[in-house]
Amino acid sequence: MKKIPVHIITASILSLLAICAVVYLAVVFGAARKAEPIYPGEGVTQVRMLSEWCPSLKGTAGDTEVYVLDSGTPGASMLVLGGTHPNEPAGYLSAVMLVEYCRPSCGILYVIPRSNNSGFTCTDPLEASPMTFGIETAGGVRTFRFGSRATNPVDQWPDSEVYIHASSGQILSGSETRNLNRAYPGREDGTLTEKVAFAITELIKNNYIDITVDLHEASPEYTTVNAIVAHEDALSLAFLTMWDVEESFRISADESPRNLHGLTHRELGDFTDTLALLMETANPSQGRLRGRTDANLVVSGQDKFYVRAASYDAVTVPYDERGISISERCARHVSCLAAMAEMSPFVGEGREINLGDMPAYEEIVANGIGYYLHDPV
Amino acid sequence: MDIELICLISMLAAFLLANLLLKLPVSISMMVAAVAGALVGGQGIPVRHLFEGAFAYLDTIMTISCAMIFMTFMQESGALEALKTAIVRRFHKVPVLMLFLLTATVMFPGMITGSSTAAVLSTGALVAPVLLLMGIPKEKAGAMISMAAIMGMAAPPVNIPAMLICAGVDIPYTGFAGILFLLTVPCALICTLVLGLKYCRNLSLEKMSDGLDTGIGREYGFRLYVPAIVLVILLVVSRLVPSFPQLGTCLIFLICAFIGIFTGRRFNVWKALLSSMDDTVPILGKLMGVGMFIQVMTLVGARGWIVTGCLGLGLWFVLVSSFVVLPAFGAVNSYGAASVIGIPLLLAIQRGMSVRSVTVAAILAFLCCLGDIMPPTALAGNHAARLVGLKYRKVFAHSLLPFAICLAGAAAVLFLL
Repeated sequence: MKKIPVHIITASILSLLAICAVVYLAVVFGAARKAEPIYPGEGVTQVRMLSEWCPSLKGTAGDTEVYVLDSGTPGASMLVLGGTHPNEPAGYLSAVMLVEYCRPSCGILYVIPRSNNSGFTCTDPLEASPMTFGIETAGGVRTFRFGSRATNPVDQWPDSEVYIHASSGQILSGSETRNLNRAYPGREDGTLTEKVAFAITELIKNNYIDITVDLHEASPEYTTVNAIVAHEDALSLAFLTMWDVEESFRISADESPRNLHGLTHRELGDFTDTLALLMETANPSQGRLRGRTDANLVVSGQDKFYVRAASYDAVTVPYDERGISISERCARHVSCLAAMAEMSPFVGEGREINLGDMPAYEEIVANGIGYYLHDPV
Repeated sequence: MDIELICLISMLAAFLLANLLLKLPVSISMMVAAVAGALVGGQGIPVRHLFEGAFAYLDTIMTISCAMIFMTFMQESGALEALKTAIVRRFHKVPVLMLFLLTATVMFPGMITGSSTAAVLSTGALVAPVLLLMGIPKEKAGAMISMAAIMGMAAPPVNIPAMLICAGVDIPYTGFAGILFLLTVPCALICTLVLGLKYCRNLSLEKMSDGLDTGIGREYGFRLYVPAIVLVILLVVSRLVPSFPQLGTCLIFLICAFIGIFTGRRFNVWKALLSSMDDTVPILGKLMGVGMFIQVMTLVGARGWIVTGCLGLGLWFVLVSSFVVLPAFGAVNSYGAASVIGIPLLLAIQRGMSVRSVTVAAILAFLCCLGDIMPPTALAGNHAARLVGLKYRKVFAHSLLPFAICLAGAAAVLFLL
């Protein structure tokens, strides 16, 4: 007789705690579904939605803004993809910076800051990532979400054990089913992730995009980092860019592997007429050698274990106590994009795109990326 | 001393305290350890991280649950009993061949799904009664099934740890079939012989016939095997025919379990469902606890401390640590071992040795798979022990020699190729 009341009390307490935890977590995870504002700058002439190129995306978590920066002067068109992997924040922030700061003087620039919009609404289990990080701007700290490498499983689930890439038949681990950068060229009637890839491919085809650049980050121990990976048709543009920026920083140019499918630099080059490139900077907050994981690591890029790993040559980029800050990583992306635009007359059909008065690498590093972002409202 | 190391020690101490002294279940002890690590690391009680970690293995949890339902239904319908009788009657004159066929049978679902759990709980459940009937002791039968399931998980065409490592370093999952075949098939056969050859001598049908129930097979005939046959067909077709709807292993197990309700002896479905969940919940709890544990290890930097420590030891130590740390990390999760430690180890070995990436990735993936016998999680081992009705520690003791043989096989392939 004694045990029954004890069990009821224990069960009641545990149930109450569980209810409290669920309510608390609903608030925490619910907040991740609210997109932080992006403030279109003077260069933005139109804000469209990705679903215009794939109507079945409308109203889904995959639909996202496409910012159009039309200079009014005929020239080349360039598409910049940020947030393909929302756990690679320099790619996202660089795209936001273009939307808020860039004023092209020739050609048209298209920017999708949150290419995998769904991926911004969650974080990856076991990675202990922060849900947000702050960037200091002139008017205070602006908060941005740190997301997941893949589409939120709430929007696309379950994964099969094996992911079969639709157009090539290549098999990958099932977790890649929700990876946008393994889904190209995409399928109109496919999964949410494949639909997003399809919409981007259609955007490129229908708007005759000359150059497409996908902004990424990678672990500092990864072999393809501080690099431009280019489809064979875009290799000359990658080399011209590499030489153009070499006074400021070192970056390598690698050819896209022909047997690795689903990636932007392979499939967009094969399935469309665009010059497809992808850029990687070194981000310690996604590396496997990192120590304590928090928003400070995302922003400062300083990690004592990476300093140790560098001392025995286990990282592939220069790394010391100063770390690799998000401003430095964004500066690389933005400078390379500006260089690509500058080199556009020398490649493809010789059309030019000019991004206007963009800050130099050294300026972004010195001022911080927040200097070029809109103040928080 | 690094704070990250202090956190790790606190977590291990809290786990041991909760599990051994307070006699709490492994799953709860893991959660206690995670909370302790977070408190020492200055993170408070990280409710969000505990929750997120607990859901990390949701897909695995669902596969295990569905496979367990299928296995229970097969048992209740009498299919296991009938199959046992059929196999023994047909192959009792060639017991070594029978052992090899049984090993291949256990491996098959692992090869198709990349999951040792699926292998143990599907064909492993069919094979276990036959092994016991041959006179193989329960602990050795359990070890045979778990090792065969792990070899199946590592064998081509689907090796998920290899795919995870490939994804981490952007190499395509191609060219793995030969090397994985070379690693797994000889190891599986040798392990089977080491554990079972002794019991193949003087095997006679008369001795075994006491344990055979021929009635059930005669009564229901071929239809008893329909769920198992449909299972194999759906698994194979969904892998080999891309245009076939991707049902997923969970749904395939459930469809076949449903078919099993009508193909044999009648049984109380509700009671069978409850019984299958009763057996499964402790293992599911372990996976959730393990998820919390790893998430907090990452949060406080203990994971980085371990990985950086392994890489800082020089090439030979990196190689040695691959053979120790990867299977040991399987105590937590073999897929986790591949993505957390396998990738940096591959990069470190590539820097120090001129060896093909595919060869190294295949060997590392094979070592990760071996982790599925490591307690406390021991997905293959725990399920195999349940099949033969033992506590896992007894089965684990008999798995150590085959485990060592597999390590030696992996080392031989690494240095000879």
